[in-house]
Amino acid sequence: MNISFLLSAAFLPLFSFILPKGRHFAITITTQLLVAFISIAGVFTAYSGVSLFDSHFGIGGDLNIVPDAISGFFILIINLVCLLTTAYSQGYLAPYFSTKGKTEMALHALSLVWLQVSMILVVTLKDGFGFLASWEAMTISSFILVMFEANKRETFKVGISYLMQMHVGFFFILAGFVMAYGKTKVFGFEALTEYFALNSNVPLFLIFFVGFGLKAGFVPLHTWLPNAHPAAPSHVSAVMSGVMIKMGLYGLVRVLCSIQSSFFEIGIILLSVSLLTSIWGVVSAIVQKDLKKVLAYSSIENIGIVGIGLGLGFLGIHTGFSSLSYCGFAGAILHILNHAIFKPLLFMGAGSVYAATHTRNMNELGGLSHKMPYTTTLFIIGSISICGLPPFNGFISELVIYLGMFQNLAGQSLREIIMLISSSMLLALVGGLAIFAFSKAVGIAFLGAPRKPLDNVKEAGPWMLMPQLVLVLLIVLIGIFPKLFLNAIAPAIDMFPLVGNGQVAVEPMLASLGEVSWISLTFFLGIAVVLFIRSKAQQDVVISQGPTWGCGYTAVGSEQQYTSTSYSDSFVSLAKPIVKVSKEFEPLEECDFFPQQGSFKTGSNDLFEDMVTVHPTNRLAKLIKRAAILQTGYVQHYVLYALLFILSILVLTYFKLL
Amino acid sequence: MNIVIIVLFGVTLMYVSVAERFDTYVKLVAIQGILLFFLAFSELSGSKDMASLVFVVTETLVFKAIAVPLLLRSIIKKMRVAKVHTKALPAFYSLLLVLFAMGVSVVLADMLKIGRIEKTFMIAALFTVFTGLILVIAHKKIFPHLVGFLVLENGVFMFSLAVGSEMPFLVNSGILLDLFASVLILGLFASRIGKRLNDPNVEELSTLKD
Amino acid sequence: MMVGYLLMLISSIFFLGIVNRIKSIASGRKGSSVLQPFRDVLKLFKKGAVYSETSSLLFRVAPTVAIVAVLTSMLVVPFAGGNAVFSFSGDFVFFAYMLALGRFTMIIAALDTGSSFEGMGANRETLYGLLVEPAFFVMMGVLAMITGLTSFTEIFKAFNTIGDYSLLLGLLFSYLVILIAMVENSRLPVDDPKTHLELTMVHEVMILDNSGFDLGLIHLTTFLKFGLYSMILTNLLVPPTWAIGYQVVCFTAVVAVFSVLVGLLESFRARNKMGKNPPYLLTLTALGLLGLIVALLIIQKIA
Repeated sequence: MNISFLLSAAFLPLFSFILPKGRHFAITITTQLLVAFISIAGVFTAYSGVSLFDSHFGIGGDLNIVPDAISGFFILIINLVCLLTTAYSQGYLAPYFSTKGKTEMALHALSLVWLQVSMILVVTLKDGFGFLASWEAMTISSFILVMFEANKRETFKVGISYLMQMHVGFFFILAGFVMAYGKTKVFGFEALTEYFALNSNVPLFLIFFVGFGLKAGFVPLHTWLPNAHPAAPSHVSAVMSGVMIKMGLYGLVRVLCSIQSSFFEIGIILLSVSLLTSIWGVVSAIVQKDLKKVLAYSSIENIGIVGIGLGLGFLGIHTGFSSLSYCGFAGAILHILNHAIFKPLLFMGAGSVYAATHTRNMNELGGLSHKMPYTTTLFIIGSISICGLPPFNGFISELVIYLGMFQNLAGQSLREIIMLISSSMLLALVGGLAIFAFSKAVGIAFLGAPRKPLDNVKEAGPWMLMPQLVLVLLIVLIGIFPKLFLNAIAPAIDMFPLVGNGQVAVEPMLASLGEVSWISLTFFLGIAVVLFIRSKAQQDVVISQGPTWGCGYTAVGSEQQYTSTSYSDSFVSLAKPIVKVSKEFEPLEECDFFPQQGSFKTGSNDLFEDMVTVHPTNRLAKLIKRAAILQTGYVQHYVLYALLFILSILVLTYFKLL
Repeated sequence: MNIVIIVLFGVTLMYVSVAERFDTYVKLVAIQGILLFFLAFSELSGSKDMASLVFVVTETLVFKAIAVPLLLRSIIKKMRVAKVHTKALPAFYSLLLVLFAMGVSVVLADMLKIGRIEKTFMIAALFTVFTGLILVIAHKKIFPHLVGFLVLENGVFMFSLAVGSEMPFLVNSGILLDLFASVLILGLFASRIGKRLNDPNVEELSTLKD
Repeated sequence: MMVGYLLMLISSIFFLGIVNRIKSIASGRKGSSVLQPFRDVLKLFKKGAVYSETSSLLFRVAPTVAIVAVLTSMLVVPFAGGNAVFSFSGDFVFFAYMLALGRFTMIIAALDTGSSFEGMGANRETLYGLLVEPAFFVMMGVLAMITGLTSFTEIFKAFNTIGDYSLLLGLLFSYLVILIAMVENSRLPVDDPKTHLELTMVHEVMILDNSGFDLGLIHLTTFLKFGLYSMILTNLLVPPTWAIGYQVVCFTAVVAVFSVLVGLLESFRARNKMGKNPPYLLTLTALGLLGLIVALLIIQKIA
């Protein structure tokens, strides 16, 4: 596909600066469709060898890139999510037309298109300069998108912090490329294969891991995620969580595909960091009361699950078990796909709730199932699949990872057995914790009785519901017909450093998945049968409605329901050392006949945020303040500094030190 | 057969880390004594040394399984409380630590490459020692500390069984150490200290420093 | 193939009846007939229902999903060394997660009523469910490690319980399975099915608002889960090489002994203090890990 086509198409939204606000959406979606068409045509060309455009159409050979299997996979995901979220934004941004100016909306539209284009370029370009330039473009466009509501002070702070942390990651990636350039004189991903063949793998891998891990959201580098996602508008959070953090994973995957030695160390590092990430992510998700923060932490958990798959794959290479390596990598790639499908679905649902009720605090929501039935149903399907429950797609990727673990237990040494069994135990625990977090999110926010009055709440418009419906369709398809999708992504899995012939390992897994299709269909058949029997049985009896049983109390109010804080309280009492839940309140006086005004506030702080982000920056700020003595404000002093500088250069050159 | 006894021993160790009533502690210590008796019997029945066999058997059965629990019960009667009310570490975390100690003892025993030791006994011994230490760490009251010390003693005894085939005399010295230390500490508690300190926090002992 | 499935269905009819009978006899009463719980369910199927105004479509569909989830997980459990109806690599993962799906739907249906009772039951049920999952997976991991196979059918075909120390492992895991079954079905000592007050229960309080056909479905789900776990127990304890007649007899014996044990346990043991339940559930995982060490000893990875 031709890069120049992509880049020129990306300049189309500049027209939105001169057109009225109502036209912005049309321009954005057309441009995105055009970009999608160009990139998917490129993927199609690479896959099937059939060229859709004449080769003399292009300007030069350099700008015609043929994407390989991994790039193709990511391009498809990027286009899918970007198109669907832009369609969603048509309904979501409608209330903002009156408050935002034309320039702001135009800038927003431009950034949406540029985000898509830069992400496609990130996964296609292997040359160092091009990659880094597109990475930077991606950061800047997502920054502009996050700052959509920069008039709020909180959003402003969060946006700046996001920009800074992304540039720290950029620095690490640049350092990695420079290190590889120093040894191989090639600047880009192609240098890595040569570098890893001759030098020690682990240090360079660690540098790239920190750089890409900051983008992906591995613990303890995740602190920007739970702040940036709630601050951004919902369609932006959907894109960020669905595909942008996968760009970090893409970079990691490219690095991993070039690794030649020290498989065990890298596998252990990946596995332990990912286990910590998933457990930390889901435990933090349980104690949040902001609906979008729950989803943000759950993204961290799923990134951890992908990392577990990658780590297991490397362990498989080290021990020589082809099935472990194949299943690990296959599970990781499949989970990237699955997460890119159900996370935008959940964020869109949360966005619809925010658009209707203007609050994200779950303690003030509830009872939405009557006013917004479609959104509720779609959100429930999304949560079932994110918990990894059959018959939807989340289960398939976890099953593949479990297959890798369990099929390869016999015949291993003690160390590997302990690692495999403890990872399976911890993955099961993560699944159970995810059920906790999402039963809370669904039950408290959507179901039950309304905790605050819901007078103006209406169901979301068709533009907001249609993308969610498309995603649900994909969820059900992947859940019932996993074999098709696994065969489709097989070329991407083959690019990993596998053990031996991948074919030997893939047969039992595909057989398993085929049976899963049949048993899922049986499940749906069973539900249909029982529902039929039930409707027949309930035909002749009296069905009535009444208030919820209140144990004889006649004045049951909706405030007596469980809130999100009380629901997670049983877990918090268990996990107090790790999650810092703070309670601020004024204790009641001893002899108080008439109660005074009181207040009670609970909140939770992220442990890593304090350790990794807040304390070091405060110390750094204190240190830098000392240098402020040089800034006196007098022009004479500044000229004196310049004079001293010239003098020192003369002296040093005289003594041949410079 | 040894494996069954060691598995049961492991189960008692897990329950001892979550137990709260002093009576439960006494029962578990008695069960451990009986299990050690069976273990010692099956280990040393092969050797021709009748005297040491009788000695070991009486020591484990009479002392560990009968005398020590009786002593503990008399201590409980002198105290006014019958269960642990406050702990330094919640039960959930002490059990997690015990599970972690189990894994560590398996890995450690695997890494040791000493002569002809019985690996199963080594694992059980390390596990018991770690559990005894965890008991001491996790509690504030003196009675669980006592029980932790007794569990530690059982662990040391198991060590001597583990290397028993190399140095049969070590088993006897291990038992003598057991007798001596237990009589000293427990006897002291039963007669002297138990009367004065009624279920104190161990932290109050820190007033004795310097 | 279908013999096992039918046996599970039939045994589930009698299981709770035997438990209740034993509990009555232990209290000195004569007790109702063994078929009474099943007759109650049939009576419920003919009754009308009252639905809460706060609840939505989910509340009406959830019991159906729960029972079909249990019925589907029963499809992968084999009997007597034969094949289960469906058998594939990793089907025990499917089994565990299918049961978790049933639990998840019941939990959000409980939150759907907007009642504080049901919220309490829901959050306790989630917590205990998540603590039991690792125990099950450790057990299956150990079985997969010893036999080198990864499907219920194949594992139980190869798990020979005569000779070596397999009997010890089988007994240890049977104890674990019994405890897991007690937790999953919300029996003592984790939960008390007799009382219907919020202080003492987990599962019973989640179904306070269900009535009529749905309540019958929920009771049937509990019966079926007992039958399911009895089948797993039989598979763990009885060697697969015996003739099918003996296997059926053994299965009936296991069901009888299991139900009598449950009845006696419920009569003589008090419920745990609610705060003590998490450490109690962690002991299940501890038992699983103990089984892991025994298995490692058996296959000579250590010593």
